Amino acid sequence: MKPRIQRSGVGTEWGARISVAFAFALFVVPQAAQAQPRPSRPDAVSLYAIQGARIVTVSGQTIENGTVVVENGVIQAVGRNVSIPRGAWVIDGSGKTVYPGFIDALTTLGHESAPVAQGFGFGGGGGGPVDISNHSWGPEDRPGTSTWVSAAEDITAGDGRFNDWRNHGFTSVLTTMDVGLVTGQAAVINLGSYVRPRELVVRTPVAMGLKLQDRSYTGYPNSLMGSFAYLKQLYYDGMHYGAVWDDYDADPSGKVRPEWDIALEPIRQQLAEGWPALFPAEGRKEVVRAIATSAEMGVTPIVHGLQGGYEAADLLAAAGVSAIVDLDWPSAPRDGDPEAVPSLDQLRLWDRAPTTPGVLASAGVRFAFSSGGSSDASGILDGARHAIAQGLSEADAIRAFTLSPAEMFGVDDRLGSVEVGKIANLLVTSGSIFSEGTRIESVFVDGEKFDVPERVADASPAGRDARGGPGGPGGRAGGGGRGAGSDEGPSVDRSAAPVAMSQDRGAYRSDDVTFITGATIMTASNGTILNGDIVIRDGRIAEIGSGLRRPGGARVVDAAGKFVTPGIIDAHSHMAAEAINEGAVNVSSMVTIEDVIDPTDRGMYFALGGGVTTVNILHGSANPIGGGNAVIKLLWGADADELLIGATPGIKFALGENTKRDREPDRYPATRMGVQDVVRQAFLDATYYMEGWDAWEAGGRQGVAPRRDLEMESLMQILKGERWVHSHSYRADEILQLLRLAEEFGFTVRTFQHVLEGYKVADEIAAHGAGASTFSDWWAYKVEAYDAIPYNAALMAERGVLVSINSDSGEEVRHLNQEAAKAMKWGDMEEEAALRLVTLNPAIQLGIDDQTGSLEVGKDADIAIWDAHPLSMFSKAVQTYVDGQLYFDIELDEARQEALEAERAALIEKHGVGQAGGRGATDRIASPGQPNGEVNR
Amino acid sequence: MSRRIWGAVGALMLTLGLSAPVAGQTFAIQGGTVHTLTGDAFVGTVVIRDGRILAVGPNVSVPAGAEVIDATGRHVYPGMFDAVTTLGLTEVGAVDVTNDSREQGDFNPHLQAATAVHPSTEHIPVTRANGITHAMAVPQGGNGAIPGQASLIGLDGWTVEEMWMDAGAAMSINYPSLGGGGGRGGGRRGGGAGGGWSQVEARYAEQVAQLDEWLAAGRQYSQAIQAGADIRRDLKLEAMARVVNRDIPVLLSANGGRDIRNAVEWAERQNLRFVITGGREAWTIADWLAEHGVPVILSPTQAMPSGSDASYSEAYSNPGRLHAAGVKIAFATFNSSDSRTLPYEAAMAVPFGLPVEAALDAVMKNGAEMLGLSGDLGTIEVGKMGNVIVTDGNPLEIQTEVTDLFILGRKVSTDNRHRSLYEKYRARPRARVIS
Repeated sequence: MKPRIQRSGVGTEWGARISVAFAFALFVVPQAAQAQPRPSRPDAVSLYAIQGARIVTVSGQTIENGTVVVENGVIQAVGRNVSIPRGAWVIDGSGKTVYPGFIDALTTLGHESAPVAQGFGFGGGGGGPVDISNHSWGPEDRPGTSTWVSAAEDITAGDGRFNDWRNHGFTSVLTTMDVGLVTGQAAVINLGSYVRPRELVVRTPVAMGLKLQDRSYTGYPNSLMGSFAYLKQLYYDGMHYGAVWDDYDADPSGKVRPEWDIALEPIRQQLAEGWPALFPAEGRKEVVRAIATSAEMGVTPIVHGLQGGYEAADLLAAAGVSAIVDLDWPSAPRDGDPEAVPSLDQLRLWDRAPTTPGVLASAGVRFAFSSGGSSDASGILDGARHAIAQGLSEADAIRAFTLSPAEMFGVDDRLGSVEVGKIANLLVTSGSIFSEGTRIESVFVDGEKFDVPERVADASPAGRDARGGPGGPGGRAGGGGRGAGSDEGPSVDRSAAPVAMSQDRGAYRSDDVTFITGATIMTASNGTILNGDIVIRDGRIAEIGSGLRRPGGARVVDAAGKFVTPGIIDAHSHMAAEAINEGAVNVSSMVTIEDVIDPTDRGMYFALGGGVTTVNILHGSANPIGGGNAVIKLLWGADADELLIGATPGIKFALGENTKRDREPDRYPATRMGVQDVVRQAFLDATYYMEGWDAWEAGGRQGVAPRRDLEMESLMQILKGERWVHSHSYRADEILQLLRLAEEFGFTVRTFQHVLEGYKVADEIAAHGAGASTFSDWWAYKVEAYDAIPYNAALMAERGVLVSINSDSGEEVRHLNQEAAKAMKWGDMEEEAALRLVTLNPAIQLGIDDQTGSLEVGKDADIAIWDAHPLSMFSKAVQTYVDGQLYFDIELDEARQEALEAERAALIEKHGVGQAGGRGATDRIASPGQPNGEVNR
Repeated sequence: MSRRIWGAVGALMLTLGLSAPVAGQTFAIQGGTVHTLTGDAFVGTVVIRDGRILAVGPNVSVPAGAEVIDATGRHVYPGMFDAVTTLGLTEVGAVDVTNDSREQGDFNPHLQAATAVHPSTEHIPVTRANGITHAMAVPQGGNGAIPGQASLIGLDGWTVEEMWMDAGAAMSINYPSLGGGGGRGGGRRGGGAGGGWSQVEARYAEQVAQLDEWLAAGRQYSQAIQAGADIRRDLKLEAMARVVNRDIPVLLSANGGRDIRNAVEWAERQNLRFVITGGREAWTIADWLAEHGVPVILSPTQAMPSGSDASYSEAYSNPGRLHAAGVKIAFATFNSSDSRTLPYEAAMAVPFGLPVEAALDAVMKNGAEMLGLSGDLGTIEVGKMGNVIVTDGNPLEIQTEVTDLFILGRKVSTDNRHRSLYEKYRARPRARVIS
């Protein structure tokens, strides 16, 4: 052994020495503070030749019995017949394998990890005083934004992890800061041992780090949809900033000089140079969002995390998006409840996550690997072995550690393969890196050789240590924080094929032609047809009547004795949304539910079981002006963008108690006077905003376009009648006030939601032309609901208001037919009028009555079939069709449930969880859709 | 004061229950289809006098001076019983000062809900208009707590004394829950529920030990009293003594399958009279509950499935499955403002397997039987309390109207705040519309 191998731990390298010396100065040896750093190893040898090794070049053919010559940190020669330069330190490579040094594609190496706050996720209570010293009141405060911070700066070369990573074969990493929504500029660095850390930098900036949630600030954005809105706004601002400066630089004469902006300057640079953005994405739904959002932002995404990527490969391939897969595979917890039965989604993730790399490779998606924020490197290679056992080829695995990340970060001209001229980052092993018992013997970083101590060189699964540490860079959408202790679950046979997935999503049947015959058909628009038939063709109602001829090839549904209604429409829901409130600001019109639709929410399927086909997902009621809505069909299993049905865009407003209640920190408004003021001021601002754009248009679009402001944009759409207001409201007076304010600004309130005192001002609502969407019989849960009466719907309808009944609840949505029947009990509404409360009327209110809401020829075949009169308590939905496809069937549901149970049992058996059995313990559904603790009804 | 006097005072307090109905009128409900819930329905007459049912049958003669209610074409049922509510204990949920359902501290066995029942709450007239004539007002508390005694109240009366029928009808105990199985803890990165399963278990054992201690102390106290020991009166232990002596049943709250099993085994070990309240996952152990003869007062049927993978109709079919297995069930709203929807919680179970007759039993009869009240309530039988409703249809159907209402033998109006507001605003002249 050469003496210089003694380099364990910190203290030998300059960066670390500073901090160590500081500690010494305080406590131990004052002289150490004045000591000069002295090299602890001899001057680097500059010329090496590894002779007679198997060389995996990655970029070309593998060379058996070849030689690599390294001089001054650069690969000088590679090949079978390479002559050894004189004076070279010759390493006998016989029986050994040389790889390009491995690259960990996402780390914080060289940087202190950010302190992890208690808990995880957005907003939320958690008790204790809230530190609001870094509170963001809106996008203008640039929360968690450090675009100008370069991860290439202030690298602590003495980061203990350097050694650890090197010992596991890593010679380069992408390093990013881990604080903020925009964490700053990521750099590729080499894991060398230089006295001057900047010498480590290979290239910077190579990407902008983005996160979707962060604890470095309080306030806006405090929801996932707020984060999306914020990032979009930031990049719109970057574009505008660039345009303004370009315009000024082209001809500054006579122009007001624009303000230089430290946050926007790097975005301008990024957009101009085209470096990618690191975008967290766990599975398919997050990939959909990442692709859509980054397109709007004008950046190329590299998605990371992606342990559920096995279900998103087609999307990534189609979009040409590269990925970084976190190799720290999820597994069952230790010290878990012995009777716990994890959700099927959870079990599937445990089972299938390691198949992701193989699936991505097959789909042609370029991907790299990362340690995902692990505090040590011991599990990374092991994670790759697991992926190989699940179908990834070794060659693809090696590429994901080498050339692929080099390409993704634009450093493939200098890293990623064993080629002449490239940086001499090499890895020398005793055999195939992924084989059991292979030893990593040494690594070269910039041509400097580091021998790997024997005890850590065994990268095989045995001895894999407990791993803990902060959540990885990039923040996890919906993931949990890494457990502090051991998270190794029971051992799983890694080469076992994944448990076959039974179908739990998608339509039961998709027939071109369906013939429903012999039913009592309640059309909701043209009365009831006894012994009626419906022909569904290509998703639409082709014929409806009595005694229709059965079309050839039709699927026949004998509905004798049954009742058919239009699919139920819920005008107020919070299902299938991963965020409900962006409540840190009093106007959050920049956000939209559309950005956070969760098409995997089983609440959608539960609602199909209640005959529901369409829901209006609304923002919550935390602020006077909330965010955009999403009107979706319950096409269970489709991606978020496929659920949207092109309804007129809407926005949630809210009046009264929810908007004005106490908050920490205090937020204006605290009275109904203030609520009104917030709304009026916002529309005043929007009016000026609109004038700015109009003037620019009128002037022939001369000069730079005005700044695009997402908050103002949607308010402007309201003023133009292109976006409809759905306003949460209770008291009659506040309803009246909003009506008058809308009239002041020349728009019509489309609906009042809840509107529990609507019966007191029904004439005024009707005269304005607003609709009302109310509950059937909830009352007294707060003061403004104390005058709520179950006669509200009938009374408003009597006075000419277009009324619907909504659920605002994941449960209530499942029997809106009963809620409608309550208007017959309380207020004596006629049967068809009652049915319309949950079908045609909400369709009109949402502007989709040309597509759905009643059973008429030409409309979408959104249909519910009931086993008894749907306005009776004793009926239930037995089939639900959306766009003519059968999405719920009470008998097929049972079969599906059985298949899912069987799959779950197999997964539980395989992953060794919940083995105490006991159906008494399942994971619970969180109370529907109130992630930041706001009450919305 | 001597022990004997204290004993007498205690006995007096305890027997204040089942206060005598007000003497007075006689009513004869004539010509309706009478559903006594003891046998087949028949067209006949129900006579109520001095608060109780005097006569019932197809050929009952109407006593002189009786006020006759013509129920021809309509139906006569026992009044419905909301077996767990906060009726009278809360007015406006979000306004703390109007809530009297939850006292501080985890162990308050001596508190009685009736003490705080607000006789003029607007919730009561709203509730009874839908055919609910009596309810169990139950103090609320945390996991593992003994929040106090539930009070059986009739939903009519100028004062609580005129309403209440038994201030200390049952003891509410919230059996400590082990949680939802910790399924949520099995996250991507592991980490058990609430800091690991071992901690959850330890906390659970501690909570059970606390309950055991209260019962043991109650036993000790009761034995000392019976042995004539001269000890200071202890209000809490006096109440616990009634529990351990099986004088009153325990409303033992548990929802998860495992929690219910644990609760039942514990209560059996402690030799308590008890019913399970909640019972969301009771169907998972239905046969076992039937074997053990444990009745269940069910939390609302209109509830979400217990997990994202559960069947969509899990909660809807829970009552039917329990009934089929032979478990005695009753329904309850566990709420105040929603107490009027009690019949719909029962009705919801009908299309999912609960026979309609069983559903009616479960909102009228079973609760009384489970709680030892069937001498006074639950069916239309001679001698029982005059809690009777007259309807124009099946009381579980939304569109059915309760046309006449008798509570504690008094004819009670179905008027309520909601109807008054309806009538008031329905009469509002057309607005002078500005715009």
